[in-house]
Amino acid sequence: MKGRRMQVPSLLGAPGIPRAETPKRRFLFAVPPLAGHVNPTVAVGTELVRRGHTVAWTGHRPTLEPLLRAGARIFSAEDDAFAARLAEAREEWLRLRGPAALRFLWEEFIVPLGHAMMPGVRTALDRFRPDVVVSDQIVLAAPVAARLREIPWATSATTSAEFTRPLAGMPLVEEWVRDQIGDFQLDHGIEDLLDLRFSDHLVLIFSTGALVGDTSVFPDHFAFVGPALDRPAGAAFPWEWLDGRPAVLVSLGTLNGPAGERFYRVAADAVRDLDVQAVFVAPPGIVDGTPPNVLVRPHVPQLRLLQKMSAVVCHGGHNTVCESLAQGLPLVVAPIRDDQPVIARQVEAAGAGVQVRFSRVRAAELRDALTTVLTGDAHRAAAEAVRDSFAAAGGAAEAADRLEKLA
Amino acid sequence: MSDDALTQVVRMLAEVVGEDFLLDVEIGRDTTFNDDLGLESIEFVALADRLRDHYGDGVDLAAFIAGMDIDEIMDLTVGDLVDHIAATEAAHA
Repeated sequence: MKGRRMQVPSLLGAPGIPRAETPKRRFLFAVPPLAGHVNPTVAVGTELVRRGHTVAWTGHRPTLEPLLRAGARIFSAEDDAFAARLAEAREEWLRLRGPAALRFLWEEFIVPLGHAMMPGVRTALDRFRPDVVVSDQIVLAAPVAARLREIPWATSATTSAEFTRPLAGMPLVEEWVRDQIGDFQLDHGIEDLLDLRFSDHLVLIFSTGALVGDTSVFPDHFAFVGPALDRPAGAAFPWEWLDGRPAVLVSLGTLNGPAGERFYRVAADAVRDLDVQAVFVAPPGIVDGTPPNVLVRPHVPQLRLLQKMSAVVCHGGHNTVCESLAQGLPLVVAPIRDDQPVIARQVEAAGAGVQVRFSRVRAAELRDALTTVLTGDAHRAAAEAVRDSFAAAGGAAEAADRLEKLA
Repeated sequence: MSDDALTQVVRMLAEVVGEDFLLDVEIGRDTTFNDDLGLESIEFVALADRLRDHYGDGVDLAAFIAGMDIDEIMDLTVGDLVDHIAATEAAHA
């Protein structure tokens, strides 16, 4: 392990090095076992490494390994028995909606995950000795461990839902969430309670005001950096299948059980008689008698594929929504649970798409929504305006700038 | 009066959700919005619009929910809403 190198900056600047050198630092990302929460940290981590810093991740190794670049350093902070329990809980969670899903998310996922990650995160701090801890918004262990060691910590908010205060209309529920966060800190010996979802040093939000709404109400340490989209390409794709007609990507993130299977069948009926092609991200065989203009693929290289698409139908997962908007693509959003209804409302309010139902959506409803966003310029123009705001926000480079200032 | 409100709420739910999705469900006072009906956010908003159109601003679904804790919201029944409508109407009578 290299010792920390301190440099005296040259008065005249070093020839051939255009940017001011910042001292090399060590950054530890603490992430939950959810791809959507890991992916933006991969882009930020890559940018930090490009600048000569050292990065590592702490979380569930088997989940992290396929998502990170080869050779990335991982400190395990979730054992296999706990991961198996979480996977089981996840099956139950996929059946829940609304307040029941919220309760389950905190009581069966976020809080137990926080306790389970605590020893591993502490070990990672001892061994990696980061200058800054970057904690995902739902990893409670990292802010607590960082505060106990007096290490600066930043929040990585991979969904912007919390910045529109979705529970403001239900103050007792909002208070209940804060109680979960407070109790966790008391359990680990912190009495000076903070809302661990929002670092008091730096909050990185991978979106912008074009989607979130008015961001001027937030303090300066809330950085709306836009999406951070650089990550390994992933699966192969038969590009020759796309014949030049408008194409639509249909993706629900995870399948979501029988309701998800129904959604894809309805989507197949919705596009059957439209002059479009559709790529469904779903297990093969999910739709009997798949129409010729539909291609079902279990995995796709989503970032590259989006460059060939004209619109996207999805569940309102923050990453898919932002990746689509970063290409200026209008959306049809069928939110299922958690932050998805909030993100769907953001898309609609920005004029960049329309909402439909998920469990009970009808083919005609979906066809009308798709036709609406594909024809006429309004939704596309609004999506392009969001795209431009994302590009201006700086993404991973801006996130890295802010993290360097914190170090 | 509350029987009438029950009829109205059942009618509105059938419109919002779709009759054909309710073939196996007999909506009554004990039917829960969350577990039994799985009402989605868009459907919840559509129900709130219909309630306001029919009963006026006095029946505000969002305001009705605002005072509840997470268990009360999870367990909210058609009967709870019907009672709220009845109470609101009585207050304005």
